[in-house]
Amino acid sequence: MMTATSFSAPAPVARRVRAYFAPVNRATQTPVLFDPSQLSSFNLDAPPTPWIDLGWIQNFTRKSTSKGGPILTGIPASSLEQTRESLEAQLSFEFLGWTKLTMALATGSQHMNLLAPASGASAAADGAKAAPAVIVQSGSTASIIQLAAADAANFAPGSMIAIDADYSGQTGYVGSPVSGSYLRQPLTDVDYIRRITFNVGLVLGVSSATLILAQPLPGGAPAAGTKLQAITGFVDREGGSFYHEWSALFAMQGSQGDRIFFHYPRLQSLAGAEEMAMPLDNKHTGGLARILLKGQFLALPVTDPLDGERVLCYRSFRPAAYALI
Amino acid sequence: MQNAKDSFYLALRTRLAVINPERTVLLRGAIRPGILVEEAEAPNAVLPTDVFVVRWLGFGADIDLSSAMAAEECEILYGTCGTQAFGGLDRGRNLSAMDEEILAMLQPFYTHKINYSVQPTTTMQTQVFWAEPTFAPINIQRDRLSRSVRVRVYSYQEQGE
Repeated sequence: MMTATSFSAPAPVARRVRAYFAPVNRATQTPVLFDPSQLSSFNLDAPPTPWIDLGWIQNFTRKSTSKGGPILTGIPASSLEQTRESLEAQLSFEFLGWTKLTMALATGSQHMNLLAPASGASAAADGAKAAPAVIVQSGSTASIIQLAAADAANFAPGSMIAIDADYSGQTGYVGSPVSGSYLRQPLTDVDYIRRITFNVGLVLGVSSATLILAQPLPGGAPAAGTKLQAITGFVDREGGSFYHEWSALFAMQGSQGDRIFFHYPRLQSLAGAEEMAMPLDNKHTGGLARILLKGQFLALPVTDPLDGERVLCYRSFRPAAYALI
Repeated sequence: MQNAKDSFYLALRTRLAVINPERTVLLRGAIRPGILVEEAEAPNAVLPTDVFVVRWLGFGADIDLSSAMAAEECEILYGTCGTQAFGGLDRGRNLSAMDEEILAMLQPFYTHKINYSVQPTTTMQTQVFWAEPTFAPINIQRDRLSRSVRVRVYSYQEQGE
């Protein structure tokens, strides 16, 4: 017989919150679901596909704004029971880094890549007409991009690139696996998908006909016919009508190996782009400051197939080993 | 609390042996990783150089929990005069190296609580964990540069402790 002793664990003690996001398929309205029964095996440093690690966040606050109301009966009236009148939840936090994804998440609107401009192109607020794209050759992977030798010669370590298909007049949600925009009418910009794609990467190595990327492309190996363009940065706009939608997972690792996860199957930005300045030295608040991206989100409901109930968030908990439950 | 103190020290000592195996100290005839607990060694007027010295200070407890939580203030002192080969001119670089080593030794900010007072040692049910370190300014005494770092170490009291 094997025996062990237990202990009565107080409330979890955690240092910080880590965020993971995955794109919702807008066309099919399919969120990415996290199975909390896998909570113990979820590798915080290498999350399973399609979850993308966005690192540590701070000032994570979640708030239920759902409203309930009593059903009153009798004379004088008294509460018989409660009903849920509305279902809503909001959350906010600050990202500790600026990347394509954190910037896109923290803006309330469409987020775009700044394509390297063509020579002599006239100025435009979201990037001038781009230099022509080059064809990605077969044999490319998510981390190694094959190009014609003449094309590869135009790139150097440190270049940033976007890879995706040419725009060919489609409307509706555009971009895969992340829908980067919604078009009501066709455009004429052949580079439009590469402007809004999340399939971006940093070049760390260049050989005769190959670009080696620092991280795998979020969309995996480039499909046949995709093209590549250099990008110089990112831009988003205050305004517009498009809202990004993501599935999100927030993890807290307790001091005793306990874990708390918050899973929001559907999140949309609630507010426009906002930054927060955090002084590096609290004694000199007017000096150097870290500029944090502030994210504010509205949780949207999904229907739980277990019982048909509509829910906004799942909270799961793994107790510490040998903690009394 | 002694189990938590022992576990914290042994965790740091084990990590130091990996981070910088060259940093050692000869104590009571044995060469060990270069970190020692002040209260467990013979009193000495002068702290050794190029070695980390763990000193236990304050203590507090939260007993209004289902398992009492103890908090102990730990000060880790270290200093260097540089090396003879460089005439001590590398003392600043050596102290920077020790800064980096102690920062690395403190991560991750937890370790299993182990009872080292029994043979064989037994791993207990809870983990010892600690807060972010607070580094003090450099103290300069002639050719000696030294610094201390404070860490608050937490642990839960288990049955039999």
